[in-house]
Amino acid sequence: MTHQKTMGSVLIAGGGIGGIQAALDLANSGYYVYLVEKSPSIGGVMAQLDKTFPTNDCSMCIMSPKLVEVGRHLNIELLTLSEIQGVTGEKGDFEVEVFQKARYVDMDKCIACGACTEKCPKKVEDTYNQGLVKRKAIYALYPQAVPLKYCIDADHCLMLTKGKCGICAKTCPAGAINYDDTDKTLSLHVGAIILAPGFKAYDPSGKEIYNYDRSPDVVTSLEFERLLSASGPNQGHLMRISDHGKLKKIAWLQCVGSRDINTCSNGHCSSVCCMYAIKQAIIAKEHDPSLDCTIFYMDMRTHGKGFESCYNEAREKHGIRFVRCRVHSVFGQPGETVGQVIDYVDETTGRVTREIFDIVVLSVGMEISEEVKSLAENLEVALTPGGFARTNSFNPVATSREGIYVCGALQGPKDIPQSVIEAGSAALSAGASLASARGTLTQTLTAPEETDITGERPRVGVFVCYCGINIGSVIDVPAVRDFASGLPFVEYVGDNLYSCSQDTQDAITQVIREKKLNRIVVAACSPRTHDPLFQETLMNAGLNKYLFEMVNIRNHNSWVHKDHPAEATIKAQEMVRMAVAKVALFTPLVEAELSIDQNALVVGGGLSGMAAAKALSCQGYHVSIVEKEETLGGQANHLYMTAKGESIQDGLKTMVTEVTSDPNIDLFLGAELSGVDGFVGNFQSTITQGDKRSSTTHGVTVIATGAGEYRPDEYLYGQDPRVLTGLELDKKFIDDDPSLKKAGCAVFIQCVGSREPGRPYCSRVCCTHTMVSALHLKEKNPKMQIFVLYRDIRTYGEREALYKEAREKGVLFIRYSTEDKPVVTNSGDRLTVTVTDHVLQRPLSIQADLLTLATAVVPYRDAKLAQFFKVPINDEGFFAEAHVKLAPSDFAVSGVFLCGLAHYPKPVDEAIAQAQAAASSATRLLSGKTINTSGNVAEVNPALCSGCGVCEAVCPYNAPSLVTEGKEAGKARINPVICKGCGACVASCRSGALQLKGFEEGQLMAMIDNF
Amino acid sequence: MVEVLEVTGTPSHIRDKALAMIPDGNLNACLTCGTCASGCPATGQMEMDPRKFLRMAVLGMDDQLERHPWVWVCTMCKRCYDVCPMSINIPQLIYDLRAQWPRQERPKGILGSCDHHINSDGGAMGVPLEDFKFTIEDLAEECRDQPGFEDLKADLDREGAFFALNQNSREPVTEPDELLPLWKILHTVGADWTYYSRMWGGENYCMFLADDPSWEKIIRIQVEHIEKLGCKVFINTECGHSFYAVWQGLRRFNIPHNFEFKSIIEYYARWIREGKLPVNSDWNTKGLKFTVQDPCNVVRKSLGDKLADDLRFVVRQVVGNENFIDMAPNRSMNFCCGGGGGSLQAGYTQERHAYGKVKLNQIMATGADYVITPCHNCHAQVEDIGHHFKASYHTVHLWTLICLSLGILGENERTYLGPDLAEFGL
Repeated sequence: MTHQKTMGSVLIAGGGIGGIQAALDLANSGYYVYLVEKSPSIGGVMAQLDKTFPTNDCSMCIMSPKLVEVGRHLNIELLTLSEIQGVTGEKGDFEVEVFQKARYVDMDKCIACGACTEKCPKKVEDTYNQGLVKRKAIYALYPQAVPLKYCIDADHCLMLTKGKCGICAKTCPAGAINYDDTDKTLSLHVGAIILAPGFKAYDPSGKEIYNYDRSPDVVTSLEFERLLSASGPNQGHLMRISDHGKLKKIAWLQCVGSRDINTCSNGHCSSVCCMYAIKQAIIAKEHDPSLDCTIFYMDMRTHGKGFESCYNEAREKHGIRFVRCRVHSVFGQPGETVGQVIDYVDETTGRVTREIFDIVVLSVGMEISEEVKSLAENLEVALTPGGFARTNSFNPVATSREGIYVCGALQGPKDIPQSVIEAGSAALSAGASLASARGTLTQTLTAPEETDITGERPRVGVFVCYCGINIGSVIDVPAVRDFASGLPFVEYVGDNLYSCSQDTQDAITQVIREKKLNRIVVAACSPRTHDPLFQETLMNAGLNKYLFEMVNIRNHNSWVHKDHPAEATIKAQEMVRMAVAKVALFTPLVEAELSIDQNALVVGGGLSGMAAAKALSCQGYHVSIVEKEETLGGQANHLYMTAKGESIQDGLKTMVTEVTSDPNIDLFLGAELSGVDGFVGNFQSTITQGDKRSSTTHGVTVIATGAGEYRPDEYLYGQDPRVLTGLELDKKFIDDDPSLKKAGCAVFIQCVGSREPGRPYCSRVCCTHTMVSALHLKEKNPKMQIFVLYRDIRTYGEREALYKEAREKGVLFIRYSTEDKPVVTNSGDRLTVTVTDHVLQRPLSIQADLLTLATAVVPYRDAKLAQFFKVPINDEGFFAEAHVKLAPSDFAVSGVFLCGLAHYPKPVDEAIAQAQAAASSATRLLSGKTINTSGNVAEVNPALCSGCGVCEAVCPYNAPSLVTEGKEAGKARINPVICKGCGACVASCRSGALQLKGFEEGQLMAMIDNF
Repeated sequence: MVEVLEVTGTPSHIRDKALAMIPDGNLNACLTCGTCASGCPATGQMEMDPRKFLRMAVLGMDDQLERHPWVWVCTMCKRCYDVCPMSINIPQLIYDLRAQWPRQERPKGILGSCDHHINSDGGAMGVPLEDFKFTIEDLAEECRDQPGFEDLKADLDREGAFFALNQNSREPVTEPDELLPLWKILHTVGADWTYYSRMWGGENYCMFLADDPSWEKIIRIQVEHIEKLGCKVFINTECGHSFYAVWQGLRRFNIPHNFEFKSIIEYYARWIREGKLPVNSDWNTKGLKFTVQDPCNVVRKSLGDKLADDLRFVVRQVVGNENFIDMAPNRSMNFCCGGGGGSLQAGYTQERHAYGKVKLNQIMATGADYVITPCHNCHAQVEDIGHHFKASYHTVHLWTLICLSLGILGENERTYLGPDLAEFGL
């Protein structure tokens, strides 16, 4: 074998949430990243969204810290206005040609003051706002954009197109405008490539059926997203667009540009539209509870974590109407009459009903743009007939070309959490392929030396944020700012449109230095999301990061007091006064530095666990797998075939061989965890195997404990041998049971044990599994009659093709409702299944030889494991991740990660992707070698401590202990590394010996005194 | 309680036949999404709709479908097929099921008309060629008495004529005065045209009857005869189904031909643009309001929105832009009037009226005084539902208004004009 050069760098094409997450994962794991983005700034579609389902978090708010992190990351080079032109070379050593369009603004000089935009005379359609409003020919994509550098639209700029104007150059105070800028072609050497170009929303223009071209009151869902958004064209005020009239009724039409091979050629399901329509309807209802919101659908596809309960709430709590009818068309009314007409057929009466809606939202689907398709062709990356990247279920992010990986919508239509998971998976895969070159091209951050402020009088800086209009539309921000300037010790006050944007961060750094500020107060949003961002800014300015206090005048004020602006302003002033009083008393805090044990523990040896172990081993870490059964494989041992037609047994066998033969992986089979001590970086776990006990130390833990299959107590299950569960049928497939061929008629019943009271979630995998099984039965015996009794078919993404194939091959689908479930009786030779047909509204009876129940995936609700690692379990019994959108494979507890069925039901490809994502997160931590703990920890004053031990008893993390020897024997001591800063011990200490740093009594009393 | 239906899943004969006969006829692909039923004016008639129909076929309820009279209520307007996400050709299924009926059991009105056409070698009314010839000569004579039309020519089988004109037999047989406006238009623009004698009736009830051999026979004879005359353009008058019978017949039966086949509406628009037909709306001093019906056969089913746009151009020129009020929906998205597919002759009058109610509501919403129907079946149906539901609008062909605008509409050519225009310009 020739020794080939391996580059320790990765090129990521696409700066949406997927590309951003992959870039951060890689850059934080020792790889240099080129993030190539076509538009002038990163953010992608997520930056355009108002809120994200199912939690309705503000999209920009949760994304902005990541944007800033990318923007200021030492090991990420952002190439905006750039696209890949060609790739030569191979895995480990690619040469990528990147075409970069001229920006005509010098990024080093631009200070993002916006003076140019204000003076620019040329108006252009604003694509960020879906063309609903105009922007200028010189512009920044959106206010929080990264990089926040202006850019000239060369197609419209008067100077560049006609050679006259030049106003921006005259206006720019920084002299940043450069009309002579030219396009460039760059050549980059990288070891791997990740394609994350995202999707193109289906464009309904030119399609008469939607009336989209003719009426402004028919909008796409992305346009509606902008209309809902506070930063959108109407500042979030909903109104009829044509005449600004009051809205009474809104309709959403699902599957526009999806599941349609007639008016477009998108046979796939776009996976996300059902959920975003529900989200939009709920938000619209929140804007105005009297609104009548109706969603017209074929199948509601709420197959993600927390989605089904969101759907139920939409119906039951918010009164959103769901009508099962794909409507024929939308049309206006004669003359000037406003209102869009929708005729739909009512399934119960069989009659056409007409309703008039003020706004019709087209829930447009995802497709892959022609440009991306030709890029894939150019890169020799194979696509499916639907235009998505061809991948393998056991290697879900690897494309057909070695060394090129994919994540996000190009891999298949998907939502944000799934894209984030794949980003992790792609980062892991790319990193693993370059493990030998890790750290060869990266630089380490050297924070400026911390200024010693000991003995200095407090010099407080107060920054008040408008948060666009989130705060600014309610609270009088300048009044709060001016108020702050009169407070004791305040040396500087300022206000910012978006304090979290990168340019503002840089400006704050500069002000701290210039004004020699030594305490900072930011009155803005939630410290939960933004504390780390501002703390980093303090560090950059050479200040200890704990000399900072954040005041949440958004969530706690402007959002809840939007109808009382005057009082809200007074409250904001009071809140700032309290914070200033507190911050003045702050002292610098120190963080403990911990070394991280370079071993990993994976709990669970199913597909996910093995994939996670393999992934970590590839990165060079030693892994222990603890599996309760005697064999590896978990549920995969019972599964027959993936949605893509791969044999699960073959895939499993390969994986087991790899894991078993991997010298870096230790296997503990028939084993369980019987004790866990320690914390991130330094866990000590006890593994029990029968009588044998062994101990292992590990820096990280991956929880991959899987889930089980529901055992039904209905439909004659357990009473009649012809009634099977889905897995039992798979067992017969694996064994090639000859009895199957003899069945003349097979029936499947979906949602057995899922989407029911007590188990309200969708089990996600069953619809696709039934399609695969039904098709396999048809293959065994093409004459077999097959019926599938379902509630909603949820073959999301390209799995829809299986549903179509099943229908085309004669499988009959009958939709039942929970009020009228199918009835199964034993009629001797056969089983009689009775069900009401949803179209004919009449009972049908089927004589079946085989009945398969698509049973729920049931979590193990492992309370012991949860207790060991202090990780939460949700109401449904699945482990609860740190953040449903942006941290789906992490826990809020550091050092513990999550994947597979223990997180939520998912098919093989998604389980493996999440295992790799969990491994990627773990790698990010392990590769740092050390971590710092929080400075906000409890501390004992031994002089006051009576040694009663109450603190030891109340601490949920086992941080306090009584000193056994020495001068302080008998007194309590807090291990700062374990302490989470919750304050339970402080509150319970009868001697007043405990203080929580950053929340000391004097500091809190100062706040109260100033209230 | 409805009776429980035993479904065995045994292959449905209809389903399999559809699969074999229609390239886009895999009924199994149906998502039961409701797109077809929600856009169909025949939904609910006889408790049936396109989705139910397909569902019954898929469930193997063949015996209940094979003689279901709903196939004669559906007008095969293709509104469903246009939008069906799985592209299932429901109208073709209806056509094939019509063809499954024993010929003698199919609706008498349609059957008789087809038989007359074939047997007479002329038209659906069975009128002998001699009578047609006499009518032409007699009317032409009469017309030449009117000032400005002294040189008017109307003839039959003139070799080398540029246009061969497709004439529905309704005018020559039942209302000959309605022929004159068309002739006057042709004369005004200086068109070189002739009628043809074999299968001279433009209508094609054999198509409605789903009698392929007879439909084909009519078209083949017409085509061969026109080819013999050497005409360059075969032009279809204001009649939807006769247009579609030829347009689709040429394709379906793969009939070779050298002429171009055109709708007269395309020519109206062209002649106006070329200044040959100097229409204007100055006459409409009262501001009478007009709307227009899009015949499915010339718009959605064949020439599409381009023809619908030509139609609107002509109408706007003739009645005045401000006096034209479009229906909603319109053009390719417009509803069928309910008179197509042979339904006017099929005998299911109650269902046809209920179907037409959708059209009536559309018309009433425009508030128009007149509905322009450039199609015989649309004209008859819109006129009939207007009477049935006691609406006050009037239903006219485009030729009447063109001649009115040009000031050449004769006294006897005003049957369908209301009292407001009955005397106008005389």
